[in-house]
Amino acid sequence: MSENSKNYKNPDGSNLTDSSSKIETKIEGNDNKKDVSTSIFKKRWKKFKTLKRGYYSFIIILILYALSFILPLLVNKDALIVQYEGDYYFPVFSYYAAEKFGQDIPGEANYRLLNEKFKNDDSDNWVLMPLYPYGPNQNLLDELEGSPPHPPSIGHICGTDDRARDVFARLLYGFNISLSFAILVTIVSYTIGTMVGSALGYYGGKVDIFGQRLIEIWATLPFLYTIIIVSSIVQPNFILLVFVLNLFWWIGITYYIRGEFYREKAREYVSAAVSMGAKNRTIILKHILPNSLTPIISFAPFAVVGGIASLVALDYLGFGLPPPTPSWGQLMNQGLSNINYWWLVTFPLIAMFLSLLSIVFIGEAVREAFDPKIYSRLR
Amino acid sequence: MNPENILEIKNLSVKFPVTGGLFLRKVAEIEAVDDISFDIRRGETLGLVGESGCGKSTVGKAILNILKFASPDVAIGGSLFFNSDYGEIDLLKLNRNEMRKYRKNIQMIFQDPYSSLNARLSVGQIIEEPLLYHTKMNKSERREKVAWLLDKVGLQAEQSKRYPHEFSGGQRQRIGIARALSTNPKLIIADEPVSALDVSIQAQVINLLQDLQSEFDLSVLFIAHDLSVVEHISSRIAVMYLGKIFELGIGKEIYHHPNHPYSKALLSAVPLPNPKYRDKERIILEGDVPTPLNKPSGCVFRNRCPIAKPECANFIPVLEKKTGEQYAACPYTKYDKVSA
Repeated sequence: MSENSKNYKNPDGSNLTDSSSKIETKIEGNDNKKDVSTSIFKKRWKKFKTLKRGYYSFIIILILYALSFILPLLVNKDALIVQYEGDYYFPVFSYYAAEKFGQDIPGEANYRLLNEKFKNDDSDNWVLMPLYPYGPNQNLLDELEGSPPHPPSIGHICGTDDRARDVFARLLYGFNISLSFAILVTIVSYTIGTMVGSALGYYGGKVDIFGQRLIEIWATLPFLYTIIIVSSIVQPNFILLVFVLNLFWWIGITYYIRGEFYREKAREYVSAAVSMGAKNRTIILKHILPNSLTPIISFAPFAVVGGIASLVALDYLGFGLPPPTPSWGQLMNQGLSNINYWWLVTFPLIAMFLSLLSIVFIGEAVREAFDPKIYSRLR
Repeated sequence: MNPENILEIKNLSVKFPVTGGLFLRKVAEIEAVDDISFDIRRGETLGLVGESGCGKSTVGKAILNILKFASPDVAIGGSLFFNSDYGEIDLLKLNRNEMRKYRKNIQMIFQDPYSSLNARLSVGQIIEEPLLYHTKMNKSERREKVAWLLDKVGLQAEQSKRYPHEFSGGQRQRIGIARALSTNPKLIIADEPVSALDVSIQAQVINLLQDLQSEFDLSVLFIAHDLSVVEHISSRIAVMYLGKIFELGIGKEIYHHPNHPYSKALLSAVPLPNPKYRDKERIILEGDVPTPLNKPSGCVFRNRCPIAKPECANFIPVLEKKTGEQYAACPYTKYDKVSA
């Protein structure tokens, strides 16, 4: 942005006139050599940033998603560091039996109990626990009074589920799984769809006619039945679900990409590329594809929303990820069967609502960033 | 072929199929270019004029062999003999791969400076693209060449980092010209290069083209519908109507003494800045240009021609010598001293 625009003071202070004047100053400032030239992507990114609610949603989702990969260090039943009789142990990364630290329980050490014990002993031994010291799959029956599900309390801010597992920890781990699943499905399906769509649109003619008929036949396969059949044969896992979902999801975007390619192919810059001697691969990848990304970028956030919702639906129906996995759909299923325990219904719904809402905000801002007109309604 | 010619077009015809019905059968044919022949000489500018839809651009695209890319079913007949760096060659006999090596000799300047530049590439990337395909220059050599070309067309070397949307129409057309010049072509097809620009910019671009033409010893096929522009830049002019060439000759002679009744009508429609000449006779043609799907028999101009005779329906007139180097496709016209 040129220096002119920094000095620019808006008389009425409204956001709308402000940003449009900035764009004008930008164009006038072209002769200024210090002024940095902007590609179309940079221009759109700049506009995207002016759409506060989408931009902040994007930042928040990005940070939360990045944090969710180091979730074992933040929310875990295992201690980060144990100092025991002069030696250091890192239980987050490896398994230690309970006897190792002098605990009288079978299996793995319980570090929360160990922490209390060391504090009471007043010894040199100590335990460093994560911020939220409960794991997503740990059964807390031994530590909590009463029968599960336990209502929310200071220690367990979202309560526990019907197997006495901490709901908050499960929600956080479920966030990573849901979003990873949705993003992976979106990337794979859009990659396949873009390749197929660009081949249909670029080569046209018989390739297009027969390709489209094949796609139409493929699209009539019922998705839910396929899932049911597959999960009746094998236990679905993460990769298998991504695969099965992608059998159908790639179809949607091919229509848009095909249309974009048809339109762009007739533009003069493509004729220019042909007349310069470019090969088909260069024309597709260097010329047409970068000009056909609008549907991909503007649909992607909504595809992610769809991916999250699909996984929740499949988990809810019992055709999703295998049982101990902390998934939102499975939590909602519990909520339905334990409808009197409000925290089992409320918290998963709130988590899903907020994630989907912020991703929809992102999608809305992306769409707006690609729109040459400025709508004040969204600001 | 004559070594003085850069390109000899012999009996070129281009037919686009019209498909219809459930199975997209061919139901008719549009003959966009109908059996035309002319030469482009080394170092000359040949102006190709005619109304919209008469097939001028199709001729240009046929020479570049890019018609098949956009419409694979097009039928192209005749031959295009080209004097390339690698010797004489009939461009129509080449497929897209074989054609590639000759493309550096023929480049095109496109009509619309907005859609002919890829908006996702910077100006430097746009101009260096032909260099990537036709030379073995490395990155810094290419950058140098781009800077030199930008300077030649009156832009600054620093602007190569910018994107097309940051330029005005005239500047964009200069970028298109720089791109066309990058491989040192022998022949440039300029497809209405100024019709999308406003008049003050038109003059700049035309003068730039003329300067570059003498500097680079280019042959130019200048396609346009603006007769005053064509008269200014062309050494010879060809007048087209409905896929046929009606008149061919020295630019000044055609402009001042047209032979063919269509050329006369066309030239009488040119607006004149000097009011003294405005009282000259205007020839207003009746009716519309017939659809190329259903052309009149014989001479395609006969249904609008002021001097048409019944015999005109019976034969297709060919270009015949009138005066000096002037050819017209009408046997009934005379050398006309009075007009313009």
